[in-house]
Amino acid sequence: MHTCPRCESKEATVVATSPVEGKWEVYLCPVCIFTWRSSEPETITNPEKYKKAFKIDPADIANATNVPAIPERKR
Amino acid sequence: MIYKDFRDFLKKLEEEGQLLNIDQEVMPEPDIASAASAMSNLGDQTPALMFNNINGYEQAKVAMNVMGSWPNHAIMMGMPKNTPIKEQFFEFAKRYDQFPGAVERVDTAPFHEVELTEDINLFEILPLFRLNQGDGGFYLDKAAVISRDVEDPENFNKQNVGIYRMEVKGKDRLGIQPVPQHDIAIHLRQAEERGENLPVAIALGNEPAIVTAAATPLLYDQSEYEMAAALQGAPYKVVKAKDSNLDLPWGAEVILEGEINAGEREIEGPFGEFTGHYSGGRKMPIIKINRVYHRKNPIFEHLYIGMPWTETDYMIGITTSVPMYQQLKEAYPNEIVAVNAMYTHGLVAIISTKKRYGGFAKAVGMRALTTPHGLGYCKLIILVDEDVDPFNLPRVMWALSTKMHPQHDAIVIPDLSVMPLDPGSEPTGITSKMILDATTPVAPETRGHYTQPLDAPLAVEKWEKILTELMNKQK
Repeated sequence: MHTCPRCESKEATVVATSPVEGKWEVYLCPVCIFTWRSSEPETITNPEKYKKAFKIDPADIANATNVPAIPERKR
Repeated sequence: MIYKDFRDFLKKLEEEGQLLNIDQEVMPEPDIASAASAMSNLGDQTPALMFNNINGYEQAKVAMNVMGSWPNHAIMMGMPKNTPIKEQFFEFAKRYDQFPGAVERVDTAPFHEVELTEDINLFEILPLFRLNQGDGGFYLDKAAVISRDVEDPENFNKQNVGIYRMEVKGKDRLGIQPVPQHDIAIHLRQAEERGENLPVAIALGNEPAIVTAAATPLLYDQSEYEMAAALQGAPYKVVKAKDSNLDLPWGAEVILEGEINAGEREIEGPFGEFTGHYSGGRKMPIIKINRVYHRKNPIFEHLYIGMPWTETDYMIGITTSVPMYQQLKEAYPNEIVAVNAMYTHGLVAIISTKKRYGGFAKAVGMRALTTPHGLGYCKLIILVDEDVDPFNLPRVMWALSTKMHPQHDAIVIPDLSVMPLDPGSEPTGITSKMILDATTPVAPETRGHYTQPLDAPLAVEKWEKILTELMNKQK
């Protein structure tokens, strides 16, 4: 498990490793769905250096609006 | 003009000196998006980019900026690469009038070479990468998404091919943004009202006719495939999907088949958009991918989008302008001269029109606001006289600076609809809109001092030709 740079949950998993061995891994956070590659700059990969304006508080996710709205079932 | 597939178009670009191979090793981030963004900064004549050596990948190839300049747009149309924009506009309008073209159905396609139905991992199939620093993940933003009307599923014309932003959210999961103004939102609503998943197919790495048709705001029951046929002047080849009755573009590099899960929404974004701003933090539908086909060693085509102008603007500039031109001409066939709706996907549009009588140009502006595309865009409409080229911005500025009287010619209409990505809309999706009438007042609207317009020296046209020839000889 890896720490998500954006929402700082500790549940991110590896979804891909570089076809050329040892170059990088790609991680995906199941909480805020942030995706990143280990070879990206620290402003992307390091929770402390990730841009503050783009951080996500997991508590806010439930309140996000649906786009488009889910229509009522008609049948 | 007909490019049988994506590779055929790339070959033509290369022959014309409009494709640049990057053979040195690049990092997936930040190099590929940086290079594509840099290319957009280098003018409006730039080549496509082909990255042949990407760190960590063995065989991956990534194509960017494929339609990111006026020469590449002209080559897409089968025209000489130095064709001026206005000529490309009128040629596009001529072909648009040939709609509908024929569709040719075939059983197999090059993308059937490799097929996967188990252990699908999009991160392994495609060399995905981040575009902008604030993006929440890796996106697909130049793929054609195909879906059918759920209540009229056999109706070919109501089948939609559109380009929507999609975030790769898992090995076989995508998030999709179906903006309410776009046709796929109608299909999704129909499916969700029934509690059914909506079958979709996603085509990546397409020849340019379907990309162009998919990026054109056609009417709901106009087929993008029949428009692609009209644009290329030859029947358009499609092949059936295996999990649904969707039709797929024959020339694609990669096809993903799946379905949008009814009633499901999940946090999405942010994503740097064509407005030059990020949008995100909303919950959007999810596509589950069930089947993938691709050519061996597929070329992954992607599009850098960000602060305008980028490839998006070249790709949708004329496709946005022509339908509005045609729809305005239906109402005013003798007056409308040309439409330039190339700015931020038509949030600003410039219309060149003759006037029947005073007040006429303002009515044209109001009609533009009520065209299908106008409903979601067209925040500012500028009207200019018939002899002002709307693609010549210095001339448009001249018209605004000399023909417009703010007290009479600036109209604000409050609280109209706009697509929700407009960062200025408040509440989201609602904005005032403005019409600026920069045409010369005509009777009974007699005001100003316009009786002595400046005429050019007598032999200017002759000298334009002489000088152009001399300059061409010098090259």
